[in-house]
Amino acid sequence: MLTPDEAGALLLSLRVSLVAIACALPFALAAAVWLSHARFPGKTLIEGAFTLPLVLPPVVMGYLLLLAFGTRGPLGAWLLAHLGLRFAFDWKGAALASAIITFPFQFRAIRLALEAMDGGLAEAAETLGARAADRFMNLTLPLALPGIVAGAITAFAASLGEFGAIITFVSNIPGETRTLPLAIFNALQTPGGEAEAARLSALSIALALIGVALAALAQRRITRLIGR
Amino acid sequence: MSAEVSLRHAFPGFVLEAQFRMDEGVTALFGPSGAGKTSVAHAIAGLLKPREGRIVIAGRTILDTGAGISIPAHARRIGYVFQDARLFPHMSVENNLRFGWRRAEEPAAVEHFSHIVELLGLAHLLSRKPAKLSGGEKGRVALGRALLASPGLLLLDEPLAALDAARKSEILPYLERLRDEARVPMLYVSHSLDEVTRLADFVVVMREGRIAASGPVFDLMSDLEFARASGVEAHGAVLEANIKEHRADGLSALAFAGGDLIVSRIAKPPGTRLRVRIRAEDIMLALEEPRAISANNVIPATIAAIRETAAHADVQLAAGDAKLVARITPASLKRLALAPGMQLFAIVKSVTVDRNTQGE
Amino acid sequence: MRWRVLALSIALLAACAGSALAAGKVVVFAAASLTNAFQDIATAYEKKTGVRIVNSFASSSTLARQIENGAPAEIFASADTQWMDYADTRGLIDSASRKSPIGNALVLIAPASSPLGPRAIDARLDWMKLLGGGRLALGDPAHVPAGIYAKQALANLGAWDALRDHLAPAEDVRAALVYVDRAEAPLGIVYLTDARQDANVKIVGVFPESTHPPVVYPFALTKIASPAARAYFAFLTSKDAMAVFAHYGFTAQ
Repeated sequence: MLTPDEAGALLLSLRVSLVAIACALPFALAAAVWLSHARFPGKTLIEGAFTLPLVLPPVVMGYLLLLAFGTRGPLGAWLLAHLGLRFAFDWKGAALASAIITFPFQFRAIRLALEAMDGGLAEAAETLGARAADRFMNLTLPLALPGIVAGAITAFAASLGEFGAIITFVSNIPGETRTLPLAIFNALQTPGGEAEAARLSALSIALALIGVALAALAQRRITRLIGR
Repeated sequence: MSAEVSLRHAFPGFVLEAQFRMDEGVTALFGPSGAGKTSVAHAIAGLLKPREGRIVIAGRTILDTGAGISIPAHARRIGYVFQDARLFPHMSVENNLRFGWRRAEEPAAVEHFSHIVELLGLAHLLSRKPAKLSGGEKGRVALGRALLASPGLLLLDEPLAALDAARKSEILPYLERLRDEARVPMLYVSHSLDEVTRLADFVVVMREGRIAASGPVFDLMSDLEFARASGVEAHGAVLEANIKEHRADGLSALAFAGGDLIVSRIAKPPGTRLRVRIRAEDIMLALEEPRAISANNVIPATIAAIRETAAHADVQLAAGDAKLVARITPASLKRLALAPGMQLFAIVKSVTVDRNTQGE
Repeated sequence: MRWRVLALSIALLAACAGSALAAGKVVVFAAASLTNAFQDIATAYEKKTGVRIVNSFASSSTLARQIENGAPAEIFASADTQWMDYADTRGLIDSASRKSPIGNALVLIAPASSPLGPRAIDARLDWMKLLGGGRLALGDPAHVPAGIYAKQALANLGAWDALRDHLAPAEDVRAALVYVDRAEAPLGIVYLTDARQDANVKIVGVFPESTHPPVVYPFALTKIASPAARAYFAFLTSKDAMAVFAHYGFTAQ
């Protein structure tokens, strides 16, 4: 079946992607909520910025991450000094890269879900005594849930395939940053690694398909749960 | 409990200016679509902040732009029943009902919940989701939800407008029951004269953003000025009556301020108070008391006022303390040479007794 | 409206066709460490002849694989013999054209801000102490030539086993250089020519030639090389070109 190294790459991929999606979710939620309420000049620019990772070449993303979050970078230095967080050559760096690259998936899915919400329901809740935070927790969030879940699962599946940003930012360290795509790349570069590359690719495709199917299933299930 | 509302607001191309009082019972805010009724309701509820305004409900100032007071919508304790029900789709009927209850400052007793559920016939719907409810059922849940928030005022914004005739007649009895039993003052926004005459105690008429007329429903409906002010044809009289006796010939006798009214049998005990409506088209006038005619109701009355247009003539009659309105042709008016002060007889062809009290 | 769409489509097609048929365009695949030298040589050639040179730089391993899969390279310049042999055995190059005009040296670098001073690289070097808990940046030893040379050198020095779990294997040698440039890694192994390019790194040691096979750069024409490519290939080993290589620190072979 899989060699210990290959199994390691699979587990690392899952861990990196899970952490990436989970950590990005609150930010995507906050950004989507902020932009659905805010009206200010330049709002479109900010929205564009949030979708930028989708269009930037991943290697450029990786280099920017190195500049910003490396131990000498402005953000990286601060995080290291105050929270002891190190991203370089570390699986957390791979998670950060994945989180940022797939952020637009989550952001846009939540944004769409919020836009589709009926503003009249919020008015009704307000007249029934619910303040803003109350309305958010008991009305907005539950109704946006299908979108949130679908966005998260899609982002997870996309994150499993992230390559350029990870290899540029944190290099290709087995057990630490060698996720499935990096392992496949490595296998392809090494003469005689074709069989390994094929096995890992099949695994990646299977994971991606499962991810997409799960997203559709979850969305349908939750939509039914909230009675639409 | 009384409420004072006074506000002014400018929309693009439309100026809203309203000032009126509300007392116990149902106050109808009546007028055509676009008159500004919903804006007034929104302002009272706190969903719209008028440029200028002062709103006091039961002694509590919820808005005073001059003094910088504006209590946010969630703290005004006003139950709002929206035209489109607006039930929360992800919650069961029961949780929808409890939504406001859980957030009320002084939540009502537990029995209150079952009382309202029973009042509105919702017991068998509690575990359902809104998607599985009919239009009429949704309307009732919306009513219950607003009521259970223990509001100081209930605002109903065209609650029946989105329903077909069958659903409307399904819910109207519940609204009547609410009016009689719930003891919460209600502001009922509607463009339907029918609903207003059935439910309202007091009517405020709005046209093009302004108050055109206001007064108790019994007075206003038979007031000829009302027709001109509200832009609708005079509907006819709305009267208070009570059941005097049930006759052997299968009819019931009602007593009202102008005498007796004979109607088909009503399955309620004598003494029951009813609301009765007589349309202007249903009254004929005779200078002499007619004999041997089929009509059961011939009422002596005096002409109080006449309003003539090219198409018809509305004659306001005083019968005792009650006011009736009859509509005849201008030719008949001329032929009979009718004038205010004349005594004659009003022949009533048909009396509408509010349906929920009609016999089975 | 439809006319405008039609006109635009024709213009786009013409542009594509034009670029494909561009007279005198030469596609060159070269190892990452040759980036600056090859770019300068290409500019000089373009100025002289008007022929456009398209350079593509990556790890030799990546390039060899791409050529194997049909990439339209006309000239291949590899950073080691292994990957040139790889292309040769698969019949991708014109074996007769193969030559190795330049060589390089392997050096140990540190960030410019590092306190480390120059030292001899021999079996007595305490690598772990030098790294101080950090990682050694280098081209991936599994396939990048610079990494393969480095691994051989470290093995010969008896340091490989200790270091193998403290590496930061980069996609190519230039990526390894970036890690040291950013002071992300306290040490790195790159070519002499790479180190000289970057003001933010300093050389703290040179690997003795005895520790690794000579670093030579085989150049060859591919099977699909055009006459224009042949002309440029000759230029690559001309006096002018060799001067550029020398300027960057490559040794003549």
